[in-house]
Amino acid sequence: METSREDFGIVIRSALLKKGTKQRFSLFALVILSIALIFLETIDLKPLNYFRSFIKDTIYRGSMIITAPLKVFGNISSNTKEHFNLFESYEKLKKENKLLKNTISKSDFLELENTQLRKLIEEQTSSLKNFVSARVLIDKQSPYLNSFIINSGSNKNIKNGMAALSGENFIGRTVDVNFFSSRVLLVSDLNSKIPVIVEPLAYHAILSGHGKKVPTLDFLPEDHEIQNEDKVYTSGKEGIFSPGIPIGKVKIKKDLIQVLLFSDLNQVTFINIDLGKSVSSK
Amino acid sequence: MALFYKQIKFRFFKYIPIILLFFISLKGSSIVDLKIISINIHYILVYYWVLRSPQSLGYGFIFISGIITDVILGFPLGINALSLLIIAAVATYVRVVTVRITLINDWISFIPALLIANLVYFFSLYLSDFSVEYFYFFKNSIFTFIFYPILWIIFSLISKLSEY
Repeated sequence: METSREDFGIVIRSALLKKGTKQRFSLFALVILSIALIFLETIDLKPLNYFRSFIKDTIYRGSMIITAPLKVFGNISSNTKEHFNLFESYEKLKKENKLLKNTISKSDFLELENTQLRKLIEEQTSSLKNFVSARVLIDKQSPYLNSFIINSGSNKNIKNGMAALSGENFIGRTVDVNFFSSRVLLVSDLNSKIPVIVEPLAYHAILSGHGKKVPTLDFLPEDHEIQNEDKVYTSGKEGIFSPGIPIGKVKIKKDLIQVLLFSDLNQVTFINIDLGKSVSSK
Repeated sequence: MALFYKQIKFRFFKYIPIILLFFISLKGSSIVDLKIISINIHYILVYYWVLRSPQSLGYGFIFISGIITDVILGFPLGINALSLLIIAAVATYVRVVTVRITLINDWISFIPALLIANLVYFFSLYLSDFSVEYFYFFKNSIFTFIFYPILWIIFSLISKLSEY
């Protein structure tokens, strides 16, 4: 019994503590270093943050270079596919164009009416958008984290928690800002919880991601009367994001109230970051 | 000329494990998802090469690869590095205590490596306030184990090609 315990000790020592053949570090030392790094992540110190930002910026650029040839190849294949589906998409666009022409006149009238009514109640009517545009460097939608890396960071005044938009539609928020890059946590991520309002009945709710394409609405009132096609906007509650940014529309599936996003998260190349309110009153 | 060609071939296949390790990390594709199947190829790669040919894959490289994966996937630094080093530690232990190398031996000894590494991974994420889907975690472990022999065969072929 004594001998087997000794043998075990020898094996462990040889495997973990000694440097192996052609190994520069012992496993044990590297394990300790990893644990130390995990704990260092919880410490919020300026020099440490600079160091982290530098490492992350460097790795993001490296990753971009490595994945560039693959992206080119992917673009070529998707272009070829599009080329083959040209006629089909032309027919579809023709129909859509007809529909849009009909709705444009309606919306022009509504916009005019809306402006006149706002003037009547002397409300703030124009909000100067304070956006910064950024390009998606890495589109990483893993099962653990649905996020984008964009090519702007604190150099463009981006801060943690700012709203990220694809065009005019909300798609996520910034969570990890470096000098020249930031991470945008998408609404579909498991860790994403966004306060929203569901129109036309103005229900407040939380939009929760589940690591899949479609987020759902939580914390709705028990006797709500939400229907398919109801629109979901940011509520602006607690001042996290500007209110009224469109997110998506409701689709009820069994007991789940899903939100179909207005933007296709797989097709995003450029992102607008909302730097904050810049409102002028009339 | 033939000797020169042989040398190039030897050097190329010798560095394949390191090239693959860093490619997987920088591309952020340590987990391959194909509909319901989800395989952690990073674990298999590290386990196989540390077990069969430790001189091809340094622990330092594994550590750096883990750090890169953490940055790309947006995890706190050190989580993937730690779990990969644990895989390497179990592989090193198995290499020291076993004499005969067979697929079955490797495959069975991969179970504790996978369990310990995923346990550490899970706790590190939990302590860092990251929500994780338990079912996905379980599914990933099962499929990683099931697909080990396929990658074992591929890596064995590469290993044979790198023999001088």
